[in-house]
Amino acid sequence: MKNTDIIRASLKRRYAKERRFRFYGFASIVVSVLFLLVLIVSISLKGYPAFQQTYIKVDITVDPVTLGISNTYDKNALFNANYAKLMRTSLQAMFPEVAGRKQKRALKQLVSRFAAYDLRDRVVDNPDLIGTRQSFWFVAKDDIDVFMKGGINRNLPESDRRIKDFQLEWIDQLERGGRLEKRFNRTFFTSGDSREPEQAGIKGALKGSVLTMLVTLLLSFPIGVAAAIYLEEFAPQNNRWVDIIEININNLAAVPSIVFGLLGLAVFISFFGVPRSAPLVGGLVLTLMTLPTIIIASRAAIKSVPPSIREAALAVGASKVQTTFHHVVPLAMPGILTGTIIGMAQALGETAPLLMIGMVAFVADIPQTITDPSTVLPVQIYLWSDSPERAFMERTSAAIMVLLAFLVIMNFIAVLLRKKFERRW
Amino acid sequence: MNVAIETRDEFAVEVKGTVGFPFVDHPKFETRHVNVSYGDKQAIFDVGLDIGDKQIIAMIGPSGCGKSTYLRCLNRMNDTIPICRVSGEFKLDGEDIYADSQDPVLLRARVGMVFQKPNPFPKSIHDNVAYGARLHGLASNRSELDDIVEKSLTRAGLFKEVKDDLHRPGTGLSGGQQQRLCIARTIAVDPEVILMDEPTSALDPIATALIEELMTELSEKYSIAIVTHSMQQAARVSHRTAYFHLGKLVEVNDTNTVFTNPEHKLTENYITGRFG
Amino acid sequence: MEIGQHISQKYNEALETLRNQVLKMGGAVELQASNALKALLERDDELAELVATSDYKINKMEVEIDEECAQIIARRQPAAGDLRLLLATAKLVTDLERIGDEAEKIGRYAIKLAKKDTVMEMHAELSHLGELVLDMLHGSLDCFARMDADQAMNIVSEDDKIDKEFDALSRLLITHMMEDPRNIKNVLRVIWCARALERMGDHAQNICEYVIYLVKGKDVRHTSREQVRERYFAAEEKSK
Repeated sequence: MKNTDIIRASLKRRYAKERRFRFYGFASIVVSVLFLLVLIVSISLKGYPAFQQTYIKVDITVDPVTLGISNTYDKNALFNANYAKLMRTSLQAMFPEVAGRKQKRALKQLVSRFAAYDLRDRVVDNPDLIGTRQSFWFVAKDDIDVFMKGGINRNLPESDRRIKDFQLEWIDQLERGGRLEKRFNRTFFTSGDSREPEQAGIKGALKGSVLTMLVTLLLSFPIGVAAAIYLEEFAPQNNRWVDIIEININNLAAVPSIVFGLLGLAVFISFFGVPRSAPLVGGLVLTLMTLPTIIIASRAAIKSVPPSIREAALAVGASKVQTTFHHVVPLAMPGILTGTIIGMAQALGETAPLLMIGMVAFVADIPQTITDPSTVLPVQIYLWSDSPERAFMERTSAAIMVLLAFLVIMNFIAVLLRKKFERRW
Repeated sequence: MNVAIETRDEFAVEVKGTVGFPFVDHPKFETRHVNVSYGDKQAIFDVGLDIGDKQIIAMIGPSGCGKSTYLRCLNRMNDTIPICRVSGEFKLDGEDIYADSQDPVLLRARVGMVFQKPNPFPKSIHDNVAYGARLHGLASNRSELDDIVEKSLTRAGLFKEVKDDLHRPGTGLSGGQQQRLCIARTIAVDPEVILMDEPTSALDPIATALIEELMTELSEKYSIAIVTHSMQQAARVSHRTAYFHLGKLVEVNDTNTVFTNPEHKLTENYITGRFG
Repeated sequence: MEIGQHISQKYNEALETLRNQVLKMGGAVELQASNALKALLERDDELAELVATSDYKINKMEVEIDEECAQIIARRQPAAGDLRLLLATAKLVTDLERIGDEAEKIGRYAIKLAKKDTVMEMHAELSHLGELVLDMLHGSLDCFARMDADQAMNIVSEDDKIDKEFDALSRLLITHMMEDPRNIKNVLRVIWCARALERMGDHAQNICEYVIYLVKGKDVRHTSREQVRERYFAAEEKSK
């Protein structure tokens, strides 16, 4: 049995090859997972402190005289009263020994600049507080916050630190008095961008991203799928014009994204006058970017539907359009959805084209409609990473975590939708 | 000892005209001077054939002889192939089916087709059968539709086996059941002619026998044309048999004659396994 | 028509084998018939004994050939010409076997007649009838071997010759019986031999009819010669 011997001799080498191959595969997976873990862990470590915010308990005597109001029930007057002064005096009351301009200013900056507005809101909501003595928790200034999270080393020489010794004393005193607390940082999720790190939140960017994604999805999905259906099912085959269109679509997928930004700037903003930095124009630009991905993926999905299904439908008397929409498209749905989600995920993370259309601007308000100026998560991350304040570092990482979570949720929805549409034939 | 004493026709590829009886009285489908080509390659040469009313005609012949192509002309399925060119007369009950005024969709509701590989839709059994009826608006309400589904499945000999759960996916059935489902789907639109392209070649002998039995029953109501590779199947089920050879129609006769005493030598050779 | 040249070699071989078996049986039957006639005419009781005891061989061949036919039909589902070949063969061997039986009968009578003179008085006529029958038998087997329907048709047309000879012989034998009543027993034996010969002729004709069916695909049994010629052979003549 000569053949058997030959084969047996070669078997050892073949199995060894297979084992090596499987090892490489396994090793590749391990390396990828390792990278992923390192990425996630490092970002999480850097980012999780952002979900906590230091609060300071301040005793406040809501003195109408300090506030400068007489009628405690005039809403307007209440609103415009001098809460900053009230805050200042309250803090000074807590640390009576503070003297000197520099120290007094530093004292004022124990709490966030917005703490005064916080105080105002409380009083306006409940005018009965006037004349009473209360203890409120206010958001601490970002330096205090950073120090509390261990970002500033108290053992360094004073000239090398942002927190000076006298401030350290105050902090220790507050701590001893139980007036320092770390709470969940709701501000991060409820407020828009701000110059002050302690007041900065991603709600604006998040909503901007959602609105932009919505516009992108609502535009690119129907257009992309319809284009794919037309090209695959209805377009004349071997037609020169159709071939040219196909080539162009395939090439568009490779165009650098910033070019789309320029296009958006020149055409949508300058020519059509769409408001700059709005989710509408952001969505339009991202639609252009996502269309090739969706079209290519959808075409592949439609092509993979077996011709026997089409023949069966035609033979029963369905017209071409009915065959396509009753049978081909539902069967191609898993592939189409996959392509869409891939396109959406790419679009979600796009920064360059959106910078071009103006989303790099500092937008503090939370956008309400698609024509309000807004920013998106990746741009927000970019902006924060550029800021010098220490506190923004952790917030950048936290924003990245939110962005990744957003992506995971999107993919999860995609998987669910795929499972729902998946059929066996 | 092998001295050829009788030669009826030359043992040649030249086929001059069709022998036998390609045409019948009161045909369901009349076809004359049919020529079909795919691009430059001609597949069918001047074929004239009648499909009898409420009869089964079997088309046999070696691979690539054009029988499937011819069959697909009858319900204009060749329209879906851009390079395919069909010429000739095709009259269903006297009306030309290739006329500009004729709608292929309507034609395919009258002339159904069952394919070689069972291809049920990836829907439930009920929806598979109901699709055509729903499409053409043959039922005005849900219970009428259910009626049609039940009747079609019964006529296809499948109802008893699936009636406890009609909402199972059609693709979960066995091969033979799937093919019967496809047949039920075809007859749900109440066609007049059923075309079958090698309907049992992918099935086991018992499923094949069940479907052949079904064909015989169906021929009481529908006119059936079947393409088959199995001569024994043609011998078992058909009333008339047509033998195709390299795109030409060699002989058409009633099945008994073809299988005991065919007129043309090529037919004899094919049937007795002398070539092809 | 050709037996061979199926795509399946085994099928070809099976049909070849079958044909050879039939021809072999035909040869054996011819031998039995001619021996029987010889034994009768030459009053050779040893030969007659041989004939009378050799019929079992022919019966065995009939059984074998029938078995072969059944197997080929079961395994090959023959159609058209092949189907007719097998049907014709099955029927043919039945007739051959009957011819063998008739030869055996003649043999048994020949044993008895060997000791008498009876045969000498009608030697010529018997011999003539015998020759005709043997020729017809040989001719029919030849037609089968060559699948010659035309020749078969010719042979079928000649059956009246045998009838005439038989009638003449009968008259002669009746005369003998009337002449001397003591002859009756032996003359009767001779008549039965003549009858056996006439029957052989009938069977030979059946064989020819089977050959026509086999080749032309038309069953010409129970049809008059004129009709057969008119319908099937004249048309051929015209189209040629």
